[in-house]
Amino acid sequence: MMTSEVYSDNVSFTYEHADTPALMDIMLSIPRGQCVVLCGASGCGKTTYSRVVNGLVPQFFRGTFAGKQRTCGLDPSSTPIDQLTPLVGSVLQNPKTQYFNANVTDELAFPAENMGLPTSEINRRVDAVAERFGITGLLGRSIFHLSGGQKQRIAMAAANILDPRLVVLDEPTSNLDQTAIADMRKLIEAMKARGLTIAIAEHRLAWLNGVADRYVVFDGGRIARQYEADEFLTLSPGCIAAMGLRALDLGPYRRRIAELESQSDAQQGSSPRFDNRTTLAPALEQSRHDLKTVPGHRSPKPLLSTRNLVIGYRGRDGFTRHIPDLEFHPGDIIGLMGHNGCGKTTLVRTLTGLAKPLAGSITLNGRTAKPRDLTRAGFLVMQDVNYQLFSDSVREELMIGLDETDPTVLAQTNSVLEDLDLTQVADRHPMSLSGGQKQRVAIGSALMCGKELIILDEPTSGLDRYHMEQVGELLRRLAAQGRTILVVTHDEELAAGWCTRIINLERCRTDPACTA
Amino acid sequence: MQSSFPAKSVTSDSRTSFQPPAAATAPGAPVFSDGAGGFSSDRTADTARLDRADRVSRTLDPRTKLFLLLAANLMLFFHVALATQIIMAILFLIPLAVAGRWRLTVNFAVLYAVFTALGLLDPEALGLPWLHVVSALAVGTTMMLPCFMTGAYAFTTTSASAFICSMRRMRVPEAVVIPCVVVIRFFPTIAEDYRQIRNAMALRGIASGGWGLVRHPAQSLEYILIPLLMNATTVAQDLSVAALTKGLGREGEHTSRTPIRMRAVDWLAMVAVMIPLGLDIAGVIR
Repeated sequence: MMTSEVYSDNVSFTYEHADTPALMDIMLSIPRGQCVVLCGASGCGKTTYSRVVNGLVPQFFRGTFAGKQRTCGLDPSSTPIDQLTPLVGSVLQNPKTQYFNANVTDELAFPAENMGLPTSEINRRVDAVAERFGITGLLGRSIFHLSGGQKQRIAMAAANILDPRLVVLDEPTSNLDQTAIADMRKLIEAMKARGLTIAIAEHRLAWLNGVADRYVVFDGGRIARQYEADEFLTLSPGCIAAMGLRALDLGPYRRRIAELESQSDAQQGSSPRFDNRTTLAPALEQSRHDLKTVPGHRSPKPLLSTRNLVIGYRGRDGFTRHIPDLEFHPGDIIGLMGHNGCGKTTLVRTLTGLAKPLAGSITLNGRTAKPRDLTRAGFLVMQDVNYQLFSDSVREELMIGLDETDPTVLAQTNSVLEDLDLTQVADRHPMSLSGGQKQRVAIGSALMCGKELIILDEPTSGLDRYHMEQVGELLRRLAAQGRTILVVTHDEELAAGWCTRIINLERCRTDPACTA
Repeated sequence: MQSSFPAKSVTSDSRTSFQPPAAATAPGAPVFSDGAGGFSSDRTADTARLDRADRVSRTLDPRTKLFLLLAANLMLFFHVALATQIIMAILFLIPLAVAGRWRLTVNFAVLYAVFTALGLLDPEALGLPWLHVVSALAVGTTMMLPCFMTGAYAFTTTSASAFICSMRRMRVPEAVVIPCVVVIRFFPTIAEDYRQIRNAMALRGIASGGWGLVRHPAQSLEYILIPLLMNATTVAQDLSVAALTKGLGREGEHTSRTPIRMRAVDWLAMVAVMIPLGLDIAGVIR
């Protein structure tokens, strides 16, 4: 126990106002210098446990705490949280809300200032940590204008400014793209090389292969099982899936994505074809099989097509991008990929008429469309779906702007509710629903307005395997009803399993043929 | 059966499918370096600009900013004469311009000029009695504007840590300091949230278009406020967690990297705004 940085003996915790305990009888010991992954399905208790380790539970998130917990030799349930600050660095899930200062240098200095270090020492540490985390070039910049990956990098650096012994990360990659995740891995490796103890609560597992020493699988608030890394990595994909975990090996998914991408390039506008020579992982075989058996809903006439489109915006941070000519057919599930900052959001805003194209035209149902027409025909399910729910109940939400006394509207509402498995919660407040249910309410409102193009922005960020698959199935159902689906995503498992075509904006932009 | 370190193959795989060959990189496109250095730091070099690092030296001390805000409120309270109002408004705009906030300065100046002019209209002389409503509203707005000017100056040109430090120097209790800092950090997120909500409304066809908000003001307000407040609660929680884990609540002395001290120009600014205000209250300006 002396060499354990984290030691839990029979720890249980129930959040205030919750009926069921979030953690039960946790026995865990993390020796100094180990990198441990806390994994499991949503609501399994891994995030709660990470909060126990850094003292947020029970000091900020209140409730009933029982058992004995030691973090770096202190008892976080009774020591004030600020005594843990110099020992435990924390990186949280949302890059947008975990920084406190507008300026990178200020943010890095912030923990050191709070510890009352002298100015010269603060400056020395800021320079040293910026050097270590490769962000010297960002010092002095405004954090608001940085990419998600850069923000998360700054969060990592800020967590290290006080030279902690332990770093706790809570789903640090849920908003990151592939390149940023690869960067994250290098940072974790570097921290490990310095002898830091690392605890990561995470859904995405593949990026941690070879870095993590141990995997702790949570289930329903208990530790289901602990694995040493080499033992865990030899588990079959089926076994990992059965535990509700995301894939350990993304290789087959990436090959599938590359295949879908080359198909979209080669045969823009014609129906997707599958190359039988490529071998897919067993998990993928199933979904591919499903795809083939879906009857040909894909209509030959495109709903939307672009011609010589140039997107972008002007102003201080303005940018412009040429978009290769695209066609979106009813029944398609198109994945829009490419790293942060390559213009995915701007393209989506342009396709839904929220932003004007700088040049070129968009055709809707064979007619040149104005931004206004596009806003009427398209719908965007935002990553943060809370912004788009306005009513007191799910049923009312679906009927906004429609005549509530009209029997056909009522009938349609009921069928949409039924279709999206929302009948049970029809009279509940949308904000009281789970993330997935909220997503479905937003989609329902789009169906009620007769939207033909439904765009989803990162619908599976921070979701476990089960919920990711649920989203995939929903997309397929919508496509089968003849809607055109566009998914903006970094999630390779979703893209490979459920998309019928993939457009990679990043590749298009450096490909000379695309920028013509 | 997997190898024990499949990550290696994954990384090389990703490179072939996602990272373009260097030769194909167009000039001006961001550079992807996969080495150990600042891999992602140059990714959005074209979008993120160097913030004026020397801004601190070109703005007043946070305590002076708060004093200006107080002076603007006193003006409202004492109902000062028009001449005083105009002098004060100009005085308030000077530091904003010096801090390099040109657009904000010009916007405020134009708004102020327009509303002052509207307030000077004489509806009787023009024979348009309904203008009374307009000029009454304009007078009210003109009186509020100095508060917005000084508020905008205080909040857009001060870093959170400078604020914390100066409030602590003024011996403000922690129970006031921490909520204030969270609120300051909160403002930029509200603007962003508002844009998102307006987009969501446009997609639903709710109060869209330039006049949409005006046509159904009560309903629109509800549609904007509900998501805004719902989101605010989660953001406030996230921010509190971030602040706590970084030791904002620690008892004992905190330091600040940003040098904070009252300079001659700070005293000058305070005296400058107090002169017209004092003269007005004393009854010299009418």
